[in-house]
Parts: sequence; structure tokens; C-alpha cells
Amino acid sequence: MTSPPAALVFVVDDDPDVRQSLTRLLRASGFAVEAFASVRDFLARPAYDGPCCLLLDVRMPGGTGLDLQQALTSAGRLVSIVFITGHVDVRESVQAMKGGAVDFLTKPVAAQELLAAIRRAVARTLEDRRERARVTEIRERIGTLTPREAEVFALVVTGMLNKQIANSLGVVEKTVKVHRARVMQKMRAGSVAELVRLAGTGGVLAARS
Amino acid sequence: MSGWHVVVGAALILSLVVLGAALAREHAGRRRAERSLGERVRFEALLADEAATFSTVSAADVDREIERALRRIADFLEVDWGNLMEYSDDRRTARITHSWVAEGVDRQPSAPPVESLPWVARRIEEGQVVRFSRPEELPADSAAVDRRTFHAIGVKSQVAIPLVVEGAVMGALAFSTLRAERAWRDEFVQRLRLLGEVFANTLSRRRAEMERQRLRRDLAHVGRVSTMGELTASLAHELNQPLTSILSNAQAAEELLQADRPNLAEVREIVQDIVRADKRASEVIQRLRGLLRKGSVEPSSLDINELVDEVAGLASADAILRDVVIELELAPALPSIWGDRVQLQQVVLNLLLNGLDAMSEADGGARRLTLRTGAEGPDGVRVTVRDSGTGIDQVDLDRIFDPFYSTKATGMGMGLAIARSIIVAHRGRLEARNNPEGGATFSFVLPVSGSRR
Repeated sequence: MTSPPAALVFVVDDDPDVRQSLTRLLRASGFAVEAFASVRDFLARPAYDGPCCLLLDVRMPGGTGLDLQQALTSAGRLVSIVFITGHVDVRESVQAMKGGAVDFLTKPVAAQELLAAIRRAVARTLEDRRERARVTEIRERIGTLTPREAEVFALVVTGMLNKQIANSLGVVEKTVKVHRARVMQKMRAGSVAELVRLAGTGGVLAARS
Repeated sequence: MSGWHVVVGAALILSLVVLGAALAREHAGRRRAERSLGERVRFEALLADEAATFSTVSAADVDREIERALRRIADFLEVDWGNLMEYSDDRRTARITHSWVAEGVDRQPSAPPVESLPWVARRIEEGQVVRFSRPEELPADSAAVDRRTFHAIGVKSQVAIPLVVEGAVMGALAFSTLRAERAWRDEFVQRLRLLGEVFANTLSRRRAEMERQRLRRDLAHVGRVSTMGELTASLAHELNQPLTSILSNAQAAEELLQADRPNLAEVREIVQDIVRADKRASEVIQRLRGLLRKGSVEPSSLDINELVDEVAGLASADAILRDVVIELELAPALPSIWGDRVQLQQVVLNLLLNGLDAMSEADGGARRLTLRTGAEGPDGVRVTVRDSGTGIDQVDLDRIFDPFYSTKATGMGMGLAIARSIIVAHRGRLEARNNPEGGATFSFVLPVSGSRR
């Protein structure tokens, strides 16, 4: 097994028979499982930091799976979702994949297919969280910049020379050089190229352009 | 005493005797006339009574009523055997449909095939009455076969009357004696012709009614099949749930059995669940088969709430798919109704799907479909299907129940026409109106079991 043994799968399905059988299969295959009868029940559970994913029936009374996807995104809860449905609907599956679903499976689903999708989703959850941690950290570095340093940072990553930056900010070139050095240090960037990459990840480019 | 006196006396006695005899004869004749008059009056009354009965008899009661009338008339006429024969639709064969034999007839007569009575059959087909007091009265040459047949089955006398509807002979009514020869008076034969007309009309009315019922049944079946086509999401869901459960359980068991010391208690539990899920799937199939069956109408006593609830369950996945909330408002303790479960479910399903369709066109707002049941006066129940869709154009409102009238891009226009024909056949009524706050409401009223409306 490639996935971490302790990965937790949240099964959300309103049908008790289906819920029970999926829970059994996942447990027998080495996953920890928590099952919920509704989206609301799942949302009431506190966020889980460990490796996990969600196995969700797309269409249930009282809030659909797609609604949950939106609710999770807006609540900032990062957990990858494997959708499972009894009836393939192209519009829904496209929407789900755009919303970040890892897989869209059709009932009844074979164990191999299901377990592979679950593993991908758990891996994706971890990856997404690492990515989010990185973004958070870069944003924290950006937060330590003074307003003037932030201005210089934004202009440096557009590829402007020091002289051009000085002109555009109405300061002498030497001042720009000092700010630039401080930006490189605070952002822990070894080169301009790295600084550009950090700016992209941290959203500076998007914010200033 | 003189000889004259003796003569006069004898003459007087003789004339008295003659007078007395004449008086007695006249009296007997009058009595006979009176009796015959009374008999005629009673027969008239009997026929008038039967004509009245048959003018209102329902298709389902025709057989029973004809048997009863045959017995009553045969009793009255003191005959031994009464038969009603009908031609098949293609008029190639004839069959005794109703028969009556008097008590005390030792040997049950068996009805002869039409071929063995060629002369009688020809006369009947020409619309003529056949009447004989003994078989020998039939023409010796042309009716030789018929005479032999009557002798063989023991018919001593008979009157056979053609049943004619709009110029076409559809069968015959025959009364026979088996124990004694019998003369058939003209007046009775004429009255029996009237009775034949009554029977003929009743039977042809029933044929037309059965044909209508068959057409309605076929149409309803077509409607159900096409309705099922619109329920694909629900049906896929209903079947996929148990199939998912079966597959996942089986694969979990497989996984468990690979362990060194498998947890057999859990495996046993899994197997039980698989059996249960399989039953669930076959119930779905059975329900479908029931809805798609093309059988005869089978009326029974029905709980309308149960019926509405089942239909709502059947369509629930489609409602969710279309983002519609189905609300049930079922009045408790409603009296049961009398009807065909499948056909009435079809009506509710049709109205429900119509409502879903109407709401898929409407944009924004809550998509809500309410199924409501309630009492309608002391003798009825009303089922209401209310949607929050686009409503019905005034122009369409008058024609919405007409066959082949559709406002949908992909509709045959038969759904509501079929629904109405089913409700009318259940002695109910189906109505449509727009809601003041938007959307439309369809409702039907059915009489409760045992009410006569």
C-alpha cells in the first residue's frame, strides 16, 4: 500500500446499506473510516489535520455533494473529494472536477477502482495542504516587508532595472539598492528568479498587476 | 200427467241442461280468457321490468343479469331450456354464452354445434324467428339435419329469436321444451322478439364498452412505458444503491477472508447484508414490472396515502436531480378508495413529473412540489399536486387534457389525456388551475369505497 496506513476516509451517503458496505470495504482495506448520513453531519465534525479524504454521494436529499464541495472550499477546509454517483451526469461531473474533485466514480464501483481513487485523494489532500502551508509561509514573509520594500519587490519582479525603479518611485538608485537587498533577505531569496517564483506563489504578481 | 206435460217437462229439463252446459262452457271460456289475459299482462309487466333493468345494467353485471332474466322468463313460460348464443366477432363461429335448464330435467342437454342446425342457423341469420311445436313441423327436406339433431338432443319444441343490432344478427335467444311438445302463441313470440332486442342492445353495448376498456388499457400501458423512460435517474439510483452495497460487501468479505484468521462473524454478517440488498433490488424490479405490466384492470380497496407515498419515493431521485423539494401533506385516517393501483399510481406519477417539468423551465425561486391528500365531502378523497413552476397559459388551460396537446418540446401530449381517462373510469374528476402566487395545481377527486355517486 502506497498511502499512509492511518489515512482516514469520511464516507457520506444517505443510504445506510451503502454507507455500511463502503465502510466495511475501506476498513478491510486498511483505512480508518468515519461515516455520516448527511453533509450537515459531516460539517458538524471538527476539521481533521491528518491524512484524509472524503467519499461522497453526489446526490443526496438535504444538500448535495456539490454543495458540500463549495461549503468546504469557502470554510478553508482542505480535503480532497471522491465523488460517487448512481447516475452519470456530464454537467455535474464537469462541475465537480472543476471544483477540485479527484475522481468521479459510478455506482456500483469495483474495489480496485475505489481504493485507487481513495489513495489518490488522500495524496492530493496532503499535497494541497503542503502547498497551502508554503503559500501561507511566503505570505508571512511578504507581511514582514515595509510599504516601500513591498513597492520595490513588486517592481523588481516585473523585471525593471534599479534605475528604472528609482525613476518610477522618485528616489535615488542607491536607495533602491538598499531596499532590494532587504527584500531578498526577508524573502529568503537567493536570486531574482527565485524572488519571481515566490511572488507568483504568494500572489504578489496577481495583486499588483 | 198428460204426454204433453211430459214432453214439455223433458224439453224444459233438456233446455236447462243445455243452457246450463252452455253457461258452464261460457264460464270456463271466460275463465280461460281471463287467465290468458292475466298471463299476458303479467308477461308484459315482466318484460317491461327486464327492459328497465337492462337499460342501466353495467358491463360487469351483464352476464349475471342475463342468466337471471333467462331463468325468470323460462320459469314464466314453463319451458325446460333457455339459451343465449352469440356469434364471434368475425361471425365465423357461434357459442352458447348463457344457458339455463329447468329443475327436474333428468338429462342435461348438450348444446349442438351450429353446423348441426344448418336450416335454423340460416333462418336466424336472415333475421327470422324459428318456431316449432314438434320437430316434424320443420320442412322434411331442407331441415332434415336439423330435425335429426333436435331428436338426438331431445328437444320437443322450440322458439328461437334472432338478436339483431342495427340490422346485423349478433346471436340468438332460444327457449325449448324437452319433456312435452308445446305450441308457441304468436303474442308470446312477438313479446320475446322485444326481449331479444333488449338483450341484443345490452350485449352490443357491452362489446363496445369492452373495446373501449381495452383501448384505454393499451393507452395507459403506453403511457406508463413512456413515463418510465422519464424516470431513468430514479430507476438507476434505486437499483444502483443495492448493487453498490452488494459489490462493496462482497469485496470487503474477500478482503477479510485473506487474513490468517478471518473474522467469520463479520463475514457472516456481510453475507446476510448481501442477501438483504439483493432482495431490495428485486423489489425494485418487481415494482417496475408491476407498473409496466400490461394486464387487466384489477380494482381493489386502496389506501390513497400509501399510493401517493410510493409514487413520491419512486420519483425522489429525479426530484433531487432537478433540485426540487417534494413535500408530502397526507391527511391521516382517510377512507379507502376502490380502484386499480397501477393505473392510479400512473396518474399521480404523471402529474408529479409534469410538475417537475414545469419547474425546470422556471428560473429562480424555491422549486417546491407539494403532494397533498384530503377528504372531499363525505364520499370523496382529493389528491392535489401543486408546483411552483411556470403555470399554464390561459389558452392551454382549456385544452390541456386533450389528446396530443402538448406544450412541451418533447411530449407526446398523451400524459394528461390518459390521466383523465383513468380518473373518469374511476368515477372521478381531474382538474387543473393556476395558483395565485405562480405555478399550477392539478387535482383529482375519487369516490371512496362503497359510495354510490
